[in-house]
Amino acid sequence: MHQRRNLLIFLGMLFFTLLTVPTVTSHAADETFKVGMEAGYPPFNWTQNDASNGAVKIQGTSTYAGGYDVQMAKKVAKSLGKKLVIVKTEWDGLSPALTSGKIDAIIAGMSPTPQRRKAIDFTDTYYKSQLVVIVRKDGKFTNAKSLKDFKNAKLTGQLNTFHYTALDQIKGAIKEPAMKDFPSMRVALESGTIDGYVSEKPEGISVTNADPNVKMIELKGNNGFKTNPEDTDLAIGVRKGDADKLKIDHALAKISQSQRDDLMDQAVAQQPQSGNKQENWFIAIFQQYGGMLLRGTGVTLLISMVGTIVGFMIGLLIGILRTIPKTGSVLRRTCLKVVDWLLSVYIEVFRGTPMIVQAAVLYYGAAQAFGWNMDRLVAALLIVSINTGAYLAEIMRGGIMSVDDGQFEAAHALGMTHLQTMFKIILPQAIRNSLPAVTNEFVINIKDTSVLSIISVSELFFSGSTIAGQNFQFFHTYLVICLIYLVLTFTITRILRFVERKMDGPQNYNLMANQDQVTTPTAS
Amino acid sequence: MTNLLEVQHLEKSFGEHQVLKDINLQVEPGEVLSIIGSSGSGKSTLLRCINLLEQPTSGTINFHGDNILATKFDVATYRAKVGMVFQSFNLFNNLNVLQNCVVGQTTVLHRNVIAARKTALEQLAKVGMTPYVNAKPAQLSGGQMQRVGIARAVSMNPEILLFDEPTSALDPEMVDDVLDSMRALAHTGLTMILVTHEMAFARDISDHVVFMDLGVIAEEGTAEEIFSHPQEARTQEFLKRYLNRV
Ligand SMILES: Nc1ncnc2c1ncn2[C@@H]1O[C@H](COP(=O)(O)OP(=O)(O)O)[C@@H](O)[C@H]1O
Ligand SMILES: [Mg+2]
Repeated sequence: MHQRRNLLIFLGMLFFTLLTVPTVTSHAADETFKVGMEAGYPPFNWTQNDASNGAVKIQGTSTYAGGYDVQMAKKVAKSLGKKLVIVKTEWDGLSPALTSGKIDAIIAGMSPTPQRRKAIDFTDTYYKSQLVVIVRKDGKFTNAKSLKDFKNAKLTGQLNTFHYTALDQIKGAIKEPAMKDFPSMRVALESGTIDGYVSEKPEGISVTNADPNVKMIELKGNNGFKTNPEDTDLAIGVRKGDADKLKIDHALAKISQSQRDDLMDQAVAQQPQSGNKQENWFIAIFQQYGGMLLRGTGVTLLISMVGTIVGFMIGLLIGILRTIPKTGSVLRRTCLKVVDWLLSVYIEVFRGTPMIVQAAVLYYGAAQAFGWNMDRLVAALLIVSINTGAYLAEIMRGGIMSVDDGQFEAAHALGMTHLQTMFKIILPQAIRNSLPAVTNEFVINIKDTSVLSIISVSELFFSGSTIAGQNFQFFHTYLVICLIYLVLTFTITRILRFVERKMDGPQNYNLMANQDQVTTPTAS
Repeated sequence: MTNLLEVQHLEKSFGEHQVLKDINLQVEPGEVLSIIGSSGSGKSTLLRCINLLEQPTSGTINFHGDNILATKFDVATYRAKVGMVFQSFNLFNNLNVLQNCVVGQTTVLHRNVIAARKTALEQLAKVGMTPYVNAKPAQLSGGQMQRVGIARAVSMNPEILLFDEPTSALDPEMVDDVLDSMRALAHTGLTMILVTHEMAFARDISDHVVFMDLGVIAEEGTAEEIFSHPQEARTQEFLKRYLNRV
């Protein structure tokens, strides 16, 4: 249902295991109904500090969970005759928590995709989202009743979502280019560059609450969009073969559509960011979105670290290849020249184009031209590595060439081959000399991975945009993001300085009185 | 007696510039050959041709009777047998003193580390550098670096050792330490070719002396012949300049 739901699982786990709130499970208490949710995806579920608006205490913490999912969970627990326990669980940990018995159900704004159905079962739908069109209240389309009424309307939707593709169902509408996120579309709508955008009902309710100048057009039945239940339905996840599944279905059947709509309206009105201000915005952002921020930080760190290390190795390899002396047979010289030429093309292309374009070309291009549906994170790692490689190739070449000729000559004079000379003598010096440049690249990568939000990699900046899109606190959110970037780059710089000093060895040497003393301490 | 090294009709040009012209030389095992001559006369180029840091333009160089310029010749193995001590030391900056003397032995001669360290420590002891085995080159004085340079070369057990002005870059008070180390080496019977401006030292230890001028061998003979009874006017001129300076 929501785009971020599909993102990277495997590497994320690495970072998230740290964050997953440890849950104490007692199988003895059979009378509880343990429901897992993120408590961070309003209006479906969120975390708050008190029990107001029917919020339920989160197990093992002093905070409370509120939202549509919580209200649903309360109703279901009641009809099961069990006591509701809310277990705050990271998104990627929900399914494992369910199958391992740490929770009994997932009520977390989850769509029953075929992929998920392989691992767990789903009940009937507990919320059916619906596509709506957001328009200006004072605009031409404010009274639209059906898709046909949007003739000649300039419409758009979020990039890479079924919202955008649904526009094709409106005959005669002008399909504007897709936009990156909701804040962009809201600004576009306000400025009049578009007449409306396609969204889902919860977002629609949120935005109409926040902005009195817009209106949500709901289109009923045949007048509306045809959508795939996989995209719009939300269901409760239960263990395969769970006997309670039928009872839950039964309970859900008793909650009417209008009751559901009311609950959603309430949830949207109550969600923490739309109105009731926290004491301290800084703490509030961390409390509410700490997980998302840490996840974003982890992804940023992962991409920039892997990208720098792999890029460094690419650069080193190219540096070595390009500094092979062009001597020997004609064939050898020709081969070396061809390789050299190819490598300079690579360097020129990747240094001469923006990374944001490279990412888009690789990610969308590969999908379009060859039908490769690359994982976003893999695409991100690939781009940053290749890009860094192109930069560091020249730096490494310079590093190798800046090593004094005398070092080569002395090594050759001892009988070392070119490769031996490189690996034993030249590269250690070249690497040491280019370490400050590598550090610099690392820092640049930490910052520049932000452009990867173009392919929706949920790195730090993307997380920031997502949060800002939810809490409408653009300035504060980006200030927090800014601070995290600063902490990251500062720490990385210090760590690599330390490595440099480590490589330089001790400032002083110990005078050895005799040979016997020497043999022990200097293992070479 | 067979020659260890034999240079015949050696020529070397850098582009249009002919630096060595028809050089002929023989070095017997155990011999110490000194090459003297003014700056730019081609002494370094000759040494560098001998261990193939420069490719000669024409002529032949035989080592144990094998033509080292032949295409199939194993250059690396040859270089391991021909040591070189540089004017600017060229110690490996990334390695400490001991590692400098070990790395060639392990990578080129495939000696095990224990044996290589043993040899290196012996040679470092001979040049009086044992206390500094853990030091990096940048932490040493010029004289100390050059003694390590000698130990590094000798650790390879070369059959012949080339010195290119080993003391020219040193402060005067450090020269003697280095010369002492070289003298000791000469006494072990190691074959040496020495380019130097230390005339007294050359006279003292050389069996044979070659005077080069403008890329040719202008005069050669025993140390006694060259230093006491030079025949050529340019040799006399050169020596006079050097003796005046001393
Ligand atoms: N790599 C080179 N390229 C061009 N000319 C060179 C090169 N090396 C040396 N020469 C020239 O060769 C001549 C002899 O140099 P060199 O052998 O260093 O003399 P010496 O060691 O006797 O002072 C000089 O004129 C020098 O400029
Ligand atoms: Mg010279």
